[in-house]
Amino acid sequence: MHPHSIEPRGGPSLSPPVRWTIVGIAVLAVGFFALGGGPLKQSTVRAYPSRPLAPEPEPVLLAPPPVDDEFFPCEDCHEGESADPEVRELDEHEHVKLKHGDLWCLDCHDRDQRDLLHLSDDSPVEMSESWRLCTRCHAKRIPDWRAGVHGKRTGYWSGRKEYRTCVVCHDPHSPLFKPLAPKPPPIPASQIHSPTATRSAEMNDAGH
Amino acid sequence: MKILDFAMFSVRQVLSGGRAYYMWLAFLGVLILVGLAGYRETLIHGHIVSNMRDPVPWGVFIGTYAFFVGVAAAAVALSVPGYVYHWKPIKEIVVLGEIIAISAVIMCILFVMSDLGHPERFWHLLPVVGKPNIPRSMIAMNVLILNGYLVLNLVIVTYFLYCSYVGRPYNRVFFMTLMLASIPAAISIHATTAFIFNVLPARPYWNSAILVPRFIATALCAGPALMVLAFQILRKVAKIGIRDEALHKIVEMTVIVLFVNLLLFFAEVVTEYRSATAHTVHMQYYFQGLGDHVRLVSWAWSGAACNITAFFLLLVPRTRKHPVTMNIACALVFVGVFIEKGIGLVLPGFTPGTLGEVYEYVPSMPEVMILVGVAGVGIFVFTILSKIAIPLTFREEGESESELELSGA
Amino acid sequence: MQDTDHKERTTSRRQFLKAAGTVAGATVGLPGTSKAFDLEELFQQHFRELSQEDLERVLQRMERKYEEEYGKPFSVEATGPLDGVMFGYGLDISRCIGCRRCVYACVDENNQSRDPQIHYIRVLEFEREEVQRWIDFEKGDPFYDHEEVPAEGKLYLPVACQQCEEPECVRACPTTATWQEPDGIVVIDYDWCIGCRYCMAACPYGARHFNWTEPGIPEDEVNPKTHYLGNRPRAHGVVEKCTWCIQRTREGRYTACVEACPVGARKFGNMLDPKSEIRYLIEHKRTFVLKAELDTKPKFFYFYG
Repeated sequence: MHPHSIEPRGGPSLSPPVRWTIVGIAVLAVGFFALGGGPLKQSTVRAYPSRPLAPEPEPVLLAPPPVDDEFFPCEDCHEGESADPEVRELDEHEHVKLKHGDLWCLDCHDRDQRDLLHLSDDSPVEMSESWRLCTRCHAKRIPDWRAGVHGKRTGYWSGRKEYRTCVVCHDPHSPLFKPLAPKPPPIPASQIHSPTATRSAEMNDAGH
Repeated sequence: MKILDFAMFSVRQVLSGGRAYYMWLAFLGVLILVGLAGYRETLIHGHIVSNMRDPVPWGVFIGTYAFFVGVAAAAVALSVPGYVYHWKPIKEIVVLGEIIAISAVIMCILFVMSDLGHPERFWHLLPVVGKPNIPRSMIAMNVLILNGYLVLNLVIVTYFLYCSYVGRPYNRVFFMTLMLASIPAAISIHATTAFIFNVLPARPYWNSAILVPRFIATALCAGPALMVLAFQILRKVAKIGIRDEALHKIVEMTVIVLFVNLLLFFAEVVTEYRSATAHTVHMQYYFQGLGDHVRLVSWAWSGAACNITAFFLLLVPRTRKHPVTMNIACALVFVGVFIEKGIGLVLPGFTPGTLGEVYEYVPSMPEVMILVGVAGVGIFVFTILSKIAIPLTFREEGESESELELSGA
Repeated sequence: MQDTDHKERTTSRRQFLKAAGTVAGATVGLPGTSKAFDLEELFQQHFRELSQEDLERVLQRMERKYEEEYGKPFSVEATGPLDGVMFGYGLDISRCIGCRRCVYACVDENNQSRDPQIHYIRVLEFEREEVQRWIDFEKGDPFYDHEEVPAEGKLYLPVACQQCEEPECVRACPTTATWQEPDGIVVIDYDWCIGCRYCMAACPYGARHFNWTEPGIPEDEVNPKTHYLGNRPRAHGVVEKCTWCIQRTREGRYTACVEACPVGARKFGNMLDPKSEIRYLIEHKRTFVLKAELDTKPKFFYFYG
C-alpha cells in the first residue's frame, strides 16, 4: 500500500486495532489454557453406582484332551502286548500323519503300558496330563501358557476363565496349525453405492 | 416506532423492483429449489447419497465451508482501510463487504447443517443447553466464534443502516467498538477454521502450522476478488458510485496477499517433497496421483495455474488496471483458491486414509445440487441485503430517496 | 395416590408428545422414520447427565423401540465400570493368520450394519519383508482373498479401535458425545452424536465408522443383549466404533473377538491386575503400539509371542 494514498484523519491511529487484536488473542489464550490444560479427564457418569471387582478364581480347564474313541483305550487291542520298537510303515493307524520333528511313536507312547505316555526318563504320564510331556521339549512355552498368553482363553476375564492344554489346539502328531479358508474380504468404500446413484456409479466403474 | 418504519422500509425495498429484479429472484429461487431437491434425497436415504464414505468422511461441503469462512473473514480487507485508516473510497463500501460476510456465514451454516448426520441435534453444540467441547474441539470453537461473528456483523450492518435511515449520525464509540472488534473476530473465525484441520496429528497433510497463515492469505485474496466482481455488478445494476480507485486499491491488496499465499504454498511443497517422508504421499496424490488414482491431478494443476496466471496479471500495473484483465484475474483467483482450499485441501488430507486405503471421492449429484442451492441462498441474502443497504449508503450521490426506491435494481 | 396421578399424567404427556412427534415426523420425514419421530428422543439429555430414574426410563423406551423394530425381546443395559479396572488388549502378530473370524464375530456380537457393510476390525496383509523396519500402512492390503491363510511370506495386522489413553477423537468431538470411561473404554452416546464426522478425521487408526444410511441388520441375526454405550442398534447419521464389547466385558466376559480367534492370538484383561494376561505380556514380551509417534497412548498392544 502506498502510504500517501491513504488519508489519515486524526481520529484513532493504529493503536485501537492493535489493542483489540491483543485483547482478542488474550481472551482466546486464557480461555484455551484455563479450560483446556492437562490430559483428558475421564468421565464420571451420574447414574453409575460403584461396582467392586470380585476376587478372581483360578482358571479352569475347559475340556480334557480329546481322544479318539475308535482307538482309545489302546489296551482294547494291544492288551499285554509290547510294541515293536522298529520305525516302519504302520498297517493300522494310517490316519496318523506323523509330522512332529523327528519323533517316532514310542518317543511319547509307552511301549508296555499302552494307555500311557512316558517322559524321557521312562516315568509314565496319563493321557490327560500330556502337557507334562510336551514341556520336556517346549519348556519355554510353559510360563506363557500358564499366564494365558500362549494358547486361547475364553469365558470370563474376571470369573470363570477357561484354558486349554496343548493337545486341544495342536494335534500332537502334527502340531502345526492347518491353514484355514479366510472369511470374505471387506467391501471397499468405492463399492458401497447410494441407492439412487447405482447407475452412474456403474458407469463410473465401467469407465475405468 | 422508527425501528418499525425502518423494518417496513426494508420490506418494501426487498419487494419492489423492476422486472429484471424479479427475474433474478426467480432464478435464485430455482437454484434454491434445486438445493432442496438434493437435500430431499439425503432426508430419504441418508448421507449415502453423497459420495463421502468412511475413508473420506468429508467432501465438498466442508471444503466449500472452509472457503466461504474465508470469504466472510475477508470483510477485514475493507474494514481495515475504511475504519482504521479512514480512507474514504473504501469506507463507503465497507457495509457492502459486511453484507458479503453475512451472506458467506449463512452459507457456511447451511453447508454444515447439510453435512451433519443429525442436523436436528444442532443444539448439542450450543453453550448452556448443549454440551459443546470448548476449547478442545476446534469445530465447537469455530461454530461459537463464527456465530458470534455473524451476530456482530448483523448488528453492525443493521445499526449502520438504521442510523442512515433515520438520518442521524451513528454513536461513534458504539459503532467503532463493534467495527474494530470485527477485525480480530474475522481473523479468529478463519484461524479456528484452519485449526479444525491442522490440529489433527492423524492427518499429516494438514498438520502444519503454516496452514493457519495460508488460510488467512487465501481468504484475503479470494474474498476481495469476489468483492471486486460483485461490486462492479452492483455498480452496473444499481447504478451506484463505487469508485474505481477503491476497486484498484482492493486489487492491489489482493496481489500482495496472493504473493504471500503462493509463497506459503510453495514453502509447503518444497518442505514436503524435499523431506520426502512417508507423509509426502498425500501431496503426491494431489499433484501426481497414486498409481491409477489420478482424479485430482488435473484439478491440482488447474488450481495452481489459475493462481499463478492471476498473480502475473495482477502484478503488471497495466493488466491490473485494465478492466478486462483485472476481472479475469479476479475470477481466476476466486476459482484457483476455491480449488486449492476446497478440494485441494480436504481430499488429499484423507487420501490415502489412515490405514492406507485410497478412495477417490468426487461429489455426487445430490451434493452438487445442495452446493448450488446453498450458493443460491447466499446470493439471495446478498441481493436482498444490498437492496436495502444501497439506497441508504449511497444517498449522498445526489439522488433523492424516492428516486432510488424506484430505480431499485 | 399421588404416584398414580403422576404416572397417568406422564403417560398422557408422553402420548401427546408421541402424537406431536408423529405429525412432526410426517412433515419432516427423516430417513428411516416410518416410525414416530419421537420428541422425547429429540430432547434427551447427554448420557453422563441422566439421573438414575431418567436413565431407567430411557432404557425402557429403547427396549420397547427395539422390540417393535426387531420383533423379539431386547435388553438395553447401562452397566457401569468395575472399580479398579483399566482394560488393556494384546494381539500376538506372530500368531495371527488373517482368517477374519474376529471380524465377523464382532459384526454378529455388536450389531454392525450388514448392508451397507460396517466392520470394526480391518485385517491388513503385508509382505513380511516390508514390515521389518516399520509399518507403512499404504502397503497394507485389507482386501486380500486367498483359498487358505496364512499365505506364504505374509504378515497379518488386524486393526480396530486402539482405545487410546489420549484419544484424538474425544478431543475432536464438538459436542462431547464421545468420551473415555473410567475403565478406559472410549464410548459414544449415539443419541448425542450430531454426525459431523470430525472424530473420523481425527482418528489415526480408521476406527470410527459412520452410518451413511439406516443400518441393515437382519431380524434373525440381531443380538438382543445390548448396552447403551455399546452394541444397541444404531441409527443412520451417527458414528460408531468398537467398545471392546462393553456389554460383555463389563460383566467379566471376554470380547467376542478373543473368543473367536482360532489361534488364541487375542488377549484381553485388566491392566491393573498383576496376574492378568495383559499385564504378563506387557511385562514379558516385546510389544509395540501403532503410530506411537502420535502419542495417543493406545491400550492395544501388539506383541511377538
